[in-house]
Amino acid sequence: MIDIMTTLMTLAQAAPEAAKATNVITEHLGNLIPELILLTGGVLCLMTGLGREEGTRKATAWIAGASLLLAIIFIPNIHTITKGFYTKEILDMSGFIKLAACSIGFLLLLVSAAVPDLLPQTKEAEKASKFDPGNIFRGEYFAFFLFSLVGLMLTAGAKDLIWLFLALELTSLPTYVMVASARKNIAAQEAGVKYFFLGALSAAIFLYGFALIYGATGHTDLTEIKNVIAAQNLANGELSGMLITGLVLTILGFCFKIAAFPMHYYAADVYQGASSAVTAFLAFVPKAAGFAALIIILSTVGWIYGPEKNHLPEILEILLWVIAVASMFLGNVLGMIQKSVKRALAYSSVAHSGYMVIGLLVGIPAVASDSAIGNGIAAIIFYLFAYGLASVGSFGILACVRNEKGEEVDSYDEIAGLFKNHKVIAAILALSVFSLLGMPPLMGFLGKIYIFGSAFQAGFIWLVIIAVINSAISGAYYLRIANAAFFGKPAEGITATNTPGRLTGAFIGAVATLVLGFTGGFLVDTASHAAEKPPVLRDDESKDKAAAFDINLEPQAALNKDIYAQ
Amino acid sequence: MTLDFDYAKFIPWFPAIGVIICFICCMKPALRKLAGPACVLSILASFIAACMAYSYVPGVPGSTAAGEGNFAISHLFNWINIGDPEKGGFVANFSYFFDPLTMIMLFVVTGIGTLIATYAMGYMHGERGYARFFAGVALFIFSMTNLVMGDNLLVLYLGWEGVGICSYLLIGYYYDKPIAVEAAKKAFIVNRIGDLGFALGIFLTYMTFGSIEYKVIIPAAQELLAHGAEHAVALTPAVKAAVAQAHSVSPSYLAWIPFLLMLGAFGKSAQLPLFVWLPDAMAGPTPVSALVHAATMVTSGVYMIARLTPIFQLSEYALPVVAVIGGITCLFAGTIALTNNDLKGVFAYSTVSQLGYMFIGVAVISVGGVFHLTTHAFFKALLFLTAGSVMHALAGNLDIRTMSGMRKKMPVTCWLMFFGCLALAGFPFTAGYYSKDLLLGDAIVKGTIGNVPHANWYLVAGILGIITAFITAFYTFRLWFKVFMGPTSWEMGTDEGHEPVDDMEVITDAVAKEAEEADPHHTHHHGPHEMPMWPMNLPLIPLALGAAVLGMIAVGGLGLIAPKWIESMLFNSTQFAAFHPEHSAATDATHHTVEFISGSLAVLGIALAFVFHCWKREWVAVVCKPIKPAINILVGKYYVDELYELLIRRPLHTFGRVLFVFDDYVLAGLVNFASFIPRLAGWAARPTQNGVLQKYGVGMGLGLAITLLIVFYAWLAA
Repeated sequence: MIDIMTTLMTLAQAAPEAAKATNVITEHLGNLIPELILLTGGVLCLMTGLGREEGTRKATAWIAGASLLLAIIFIPNIHTITKGFYTKEILDMSGFIKLAACSIGFLLLLVSAAVPDLLPQTKEAEKASKFDPGNIFRGEYFAFFLFSLVGLMLTAGAKDLIWLFLALELTSLPTYVMVASARKNIAAQEAGVKYFFLGALSAAIFLYGFALIYGATGHTDLTEIKNVIAAQNLANGELSGMLITGLVLTILGFCFKIAAFPMHYYAADVYQGASSAVTAFLAFVPKAAGFAALIIILSTVGWIYGPEKNHLPEILEILLWVIAVASMFLGNVLGMIQKSVKRALAYSSVAHSGYMVIGLLVGIPAVASDSAIGNGIAAIIFYLFAYGLASVGSFGILACVRNEKGEEVDSYDEIAGLFKNHKVIAAILALSVFSLLGMPPLMGFLGKIYIFGSAFQAGFIWLVIIAVINSAISGAYYLRIANAAFFGKPAEGITATNTPGRLTGAFIGAVATLVLGFTGGFLVDTASHAAEKPPVLRDDESKDKAAAFDINLEPQAALNKDIYAQ
Repeated sequence: MTLDFDYAKFIPWFPAIGVIICFICCMKPALRKLAGPACVLSILASFIAACMAYSYVPGVPGSTAAGEGNFAISHLFNWINIGDPEKGGFVANFSYFFDPLTMIMLFVVTGIGTLIATYAMGYMHGERGYARFFAGVALFIFSMTNLVMGDNLLVLYLGWEGVGICSYLLIGYYYDKPIAVEAAKKAFIVNRIGDLGFALGIFLTYMTFGSIEYKVIIPAAQELLAHGAEHAVALTPAVKAAVAQAHSVSPSYLAWIPFLLMLGAFGKSAQLPLFVWLPDAMAGPTPVSALVHAATMVTSGVYMIARLTPIFQLSEYALPVVAVIGGITCLFAGTIALTNNDLKGVFAYSTVSQLGYMFIGVAVISVGGVFHLTTHAFFKALLFLTAGSVMHALAGNLDIRTMSGMRKKMPVTCWLMFFGCLALAGFPFTAGYYSKDLLLGDAIVKGTIGNVPHANWYLVAGILGIITAFITAFYTFRLWFKVFMGPTSWEMGTDEGHEPVDDMEVITDAVAKEAEEADPHHTHHHGPHEMPMWPMNLPLIPLALGAAVLGMIAVGGLGLIAPKWIESMLFNSTQFAAFHPEHSAATDATHHTVEFISGSLAVLGIALAFVFHCWKREWVAVVCKPIKPAINILVGKYYVDELYELLIRRPLHTFGRVLFVFDDYVLAGLVNFASFIPRLAGWAARPTQNGVLQKYGVGMGLGLAITLLIVFYAWLAA
């Protein structure tokens, strides 16, 4: 597998010099094998989804799953440490996000794909006019699913502003369709329309930002942009107003993708209107893409300003500070007063974006430290993983349980007393919300430790205090969910649908938050390697990139020695 | 140095697999019979892995581990790594620490664990929650192996709390009996006191040394003790940093660490004043009493002090205090056992008493401490399991006043228990004799030489121990003679035959009848009966052999292993690396004298027990009459429970009530007020979420504009 990759990379490098300079896509084709696999899978899904036989149509989900697993294998690694039978692969930033996209994408697929066969809604939904991803699957649904994941993965590997824009839109456009795909469901229709219009507005905002960045630097290639910004900083000691305005608009536009203030308005309505399987997707994929894009754009500026040369330019710092604090507070206080569990979790998604933005403020330290704490970006990509697993668990469970009308449950009353009749389901739900809350020893706790810890080390004491207060506020609604599920009075007519796949997805997500809470060390290691260097490097930095990695691997290799003695 | 024993790090994880299998068996009634074998095999796998690892461990006799160093670490995975360890960062990995002490503990835990679990397959047969029981046992072994193998205090603490919770679950196994539930709660709560001290001790250790890894703190403590004298061990940079940090903190930190840790050890190992939970813990099934509350868990306090001996030497008072507390507990619990009439109760108090011996042993840095732990594990497990057989045969009756002459009904059990009693009494040349006299001899030697601080404290402890030797012999054989000798008579208890039903199955006559045909010995229609050889009596035979000859083998070798095996094991352990026991003609003479005295006391005690409880039973009443008040105090167990009630429980209750009122009216008000603020903010922010698309668009635009304004204003202002 690695061989194929290397061959392709060699092929790409063998391309004529001129073409290499002009055609960024060709240059990086060797790194895009997972994306190509998913695209192929998506097209296959479109074909089988239209199949005449029901069996053919049912194969669609399997094709999507297989292409996701295949894509994981082909994620390019930048370095491999082999020690006996044990091989450790070092991923770069885009590799790590691709890994998260594919693996959590697979769980999301489980949640989406396994459809309750026995529901009357399912039979009804066989008719084309009643399609609803909560009750039945369709080929095009999986195609959109895979295309959106491709968008996320391309975002993570973006080398160019135009590429970045296209990748982000590739992430979002299919999700508009996925939200609205329950054609007879008014709420879903409304959610789809809102999501689309507001998404278009946000795209306009960050595209304007891109245009200003291009205007200020004269380049769309991110490396060149970084070179120009560095030169500008060196020459004037500050950045031009046009560039700053472009960056600010870009960041604000991206806030839509991550559902953060001031672009968070859509979150609750859309999350609630979409069927729960789609909501789980929305909670992770666009958010991951938004953060990948934010990391890329911020790393063109770099964390090299301020008196200690370890901060963002002050103006961006103020901006991110405002976004983080406002998102945390708005998300948590609004989450507290909801009657709908899905809305509460939507607001929690806003709050989680706030926590992660703190990591953006911390950024990547110039000198890599031995521990993961201290590197805000590593903390973010680890946190994304933790958040993704927990939201698969919580939304997956909401997709499993039906009220007496056969609709997916939504209110606290409907999940009340789940534990009495559905012990495993209630336990998964509780585990997931506890992880979201950041209860030790779950993975969410580790994620929060790393984010808050690095902010603390970088001197953002007030942000840490605010974040901890917010974690406490968030306890109000997370614990309310667990409390309702365990101790509430069971509501009438609540059934758990017989959907093993859906339950398996949620189960794996929840158990992973528990297991990785204990053994997440390796994932933290991988994340800190991935975030050791910014994803966009200046020319002079990238020259010694390979060398830098080799040097920095030494202490890590020593740390990972299996057996050592005095 | 690299060791070729990769599998050793999986020793605790075999029982972890056992837990999962047993858990599945709990869920599926059809599989529940598999739980017992699965548990036994998983513990056996750990035992085999420990045996295979043995010769690779540095320091054990005949070790193949090349190179220097007296321990090896097997790294499983990075657990908590915060900051740079060289600069005071916090490191606690799931790494396992192997040295001879670990190996001894592992042999005890997994070896005796296997035997007891095998016995339990028979004993628990047909109980409700059969699979639940074995899940608990496997979880216990998992925690206990982590406890003894962890390479830092945090893993030790994790295992410590793990065995605590297993103990709670297993004592409360019969959760429908109020007495068992009470006992489980008591055990758990009393241990909180000790564990609080332990946790504080760990914090203080970290503050003092900047590390909680054995490979740093033990050499650092040794370095501090040696005050710059020459060392056998080269110091690593981490140890140097730890020593430097310890020099920079207040010296009172160093003195406090051992006392805080000691509190944890006293709680877990049931020493004065925290011993009250152990006798009550006998409400659990008997194999649990044998495994958790006699052989392994309760000795973890002893293990902790043995492992951290150099840390305990940091305060000159710490080890003498341990010795004296051990000595007092030893006598105290021994005397209570004299008048106890509960079959398991006698052995429970005797366990407390024997643990006191072990504490004397570790306090005088004698081989005897851990050696006695090992031999005690054998003979006390044997005693509990044979007592369990008697109890089983008598349908749960435990009152030894109602039993007599059982040897005719249960000959095998009778003679198996006889070996256990001999060892517990310290009859010459049994295992208990060697280990007990070794530590008592060392205590007396240390007390009489007087070149250590507070030597007379050790002397007091040693003398208390010798007195207790006599008492031990008497109460042990009092029980044995009462139960097995004399005319045959018994009363049946109230337990019904164990119906082989499970929690979910509906009991039908047909099922019950079928079960009875399959297992006639599980019904009690024909009076007491001997236990079946497999799986109940057979596992007791190795225990009995151990109780009889383990002492001779471990000390003399008997051609089977190297002579003085136990001594070379322990003095090659990490914490004793710089310690050389004194040997001279004078010390040898003291040792021989102590051996002679306590050996003769044991024989005398047995003889007295024979007179009063076998030969002339009617004399008991005559002798007891004049000393009735003293006996009443003993029967009342020195009224310690009542003292707790008066001094701790009632004041706590009252205090709790006061706090409750405070909480209800003052704190709750504050909390409600605090939670009101975000709620209010939520209500205030709610109108922004009105669901109208246009307003959302406007909201986004406004938010954008306002944020831009704030940002640019702040930028211009700066």
